[in-house]
Amino acid sequence: MGEPFVTARGLRKVFHSRGRDVTALDDVSFTLARGETLGLVGPSGSGKSTLARVLMRLIEPDAGAISIDGEDWLALRGRALRQRRGAIQMVFQEPLAAFNPRATIGGALDDPLRIHGIADRADRAERPRRIAELLERVGLPAGFAQRAVHEVSGGQRQRVAIARALATRPALIVLDEAVSALDVSVRGTILELLADVQKSDGIAYVFVSHDLAVVRVIAHRVAIMDAGRIVETGPTPGVIADPQSAMGRALVAAVPRLDFGRDDGA
Amino acid sequence: MRRFALRFLRSPEGMVGLVLLACLVAMALLAPFVFPRDPLSIVGRPLIAPFTDASLPLGTDRLGRDVLAGLMHGARASLLVGVFAALVAVAVGTVVGTVAGFAGGLIDEALMRVVDAFQVVPAFLLALAFVSVTGPSLPVIVFAVALGAWTGPARLARAEVLSIRERDYVAAARAIGMHPAEIAFKEVLPNALPPVLALVSVIVASAVLIEAALSFLNLGDPNIVTWGSMIAEGRNVLRTAPFLSIVPGFGLVLTVLGVYLFGEGLVEAMAHRRGRQ
Repeated sequence: MGEPFVTARGLRKVFHSRGRDVTALDDVSFTLARGETLGLVGPSGSGKSTLARVLMRLIEPDAGAISIDGEDWLALRGRALRQRRGAIQMVFQEPLAAFNPRATIGGALDDPLRIHGIADRADRAERPRRIAELLERVGLPAGFAQRAVHEVSGGQRQRVAIARALATRPALIVLDEAVSALDVSVRGTILELLADVQKSDGIAYVFVSHDLAVVRVIAHRVAIMDAGRIVETGPTPGVIADPQSAMGRALVAAVPRLDFGRDDGA
Repeated sequence: MRRFALRFLRSPEGMVGLVLLACLVAMALLAPFVFPRDPLSIVGRPLIAPFTDASLPLGTDRLGRDVLAGLMHGARASLLVGVFAALVAVAVGTVVGTVAGFAGGLIDEALMRVVDAFQVVPAFLLALAFVSVTGPSLPVIVFAVALGAWTGPARLARAEVLSIRERDYVAAARAIGMHPAEIAFKEVLPNALPPVLALVSVIVASAVLIEAALSFLNLGDPNIVTWGSMIAEGRNVLRTAPFLSIVPGFGLVLTVLGVYLFGEGLVEAMAHRRGRQ
């Protein structure tokens, strides 16, 4: 695919808590092409959420470099950073916590449109139309704009979160355990929605999850993290079929199987 | 919201507080209609005892001024000072606390040391010093009382903001490129407000008392009747005509009690709502 869209090199982050140093990221490097999905898998505390937040510039790394579309992403400050943030959006694990408790769905979608001036160049009436479009895009009725975020179900809320991420027309969306808090029955439809959006818009995803079963269906490539390091990376089918690292093997073994035909003797 | 009101009305404290406050507000609002004359004007013989003259039910003071008229007009001063001082204190305190908590670092340190500086001086001394320098008038008194009261809301708002700024919705607001000032005042501040509002009743009550104490020391606005100045006036004849101090004293006690109970009822109704979520 030529020049990678995102290149991260030597990322390092150490948290200091109560006199102890916790190394959340230790020399982490990866690349991501346009329209590609990188699955970031690892157990709790392996640093995958920290990596997601460093990528979002929500946490500043201690060392390392990130370039996005050839630009030094970590050098951006203030206004320039805020403007550029539209290119990278995030979907959080807990859809209820990711919205202001007072927000309406329309208001939550209006913010990114207003900040990035996406709709109001022509006229003010353009924004409600764009909001309706975004809602339709994620499979929700346009009438939802008037509802409060806390009134709708968890799956619908995560659809709103995806709509909010899509509002700025990003090239990359970081999904931090985006389906982990959802009902299993809802999970599949959200994954399908994400795959559809990627196909039509060519958006790249960094898909953070502890669950290899979910990553398998959505990620082109997978990176396995353990104690702040990426211990294994490669195309998803290959890594799952033949994991090289100890953590990779442990994660593959942890995926529940429904093999009725075979008797494991357990 | 309707359920919230219902729960408030069902709590006995809230109900008693509401009734007391309603009486007070009615007194303040009706004063100019029931007693259109200046309450400082002389209407009869001096020192008529209460309940002896039907046209002057609470009697007259040393100069022959109507005590009931003074009581009702005095309610206006107490309420005005209480409500506006609390408004100013909560507005200033919440903004300072939000900025301190959200900005963190040096700004936080600097602002909180200012809060400390105000907090170590007793609120009443602060008001006293301020009024004696700038001269007594109602706006000055409101400001003087707020000067000693804004630190409580500031501390509470800061503590609340410190916890809220770590929430995902603040991260989400940063991720869409929202300006930090907009995040602080639109996303964080409104959610930090409920516990601060619980302080309002305490501030109103203490503001009413501070205003009365200032008036008692002749540092009140000399052009209006206040309960504090009525008590001070009655002090000279405390033995022969104790009612002159007792009547406005009752007004003060009932006002502070009413405000306080009303606040208790609100907090209780709010706690219920939080518990349900």
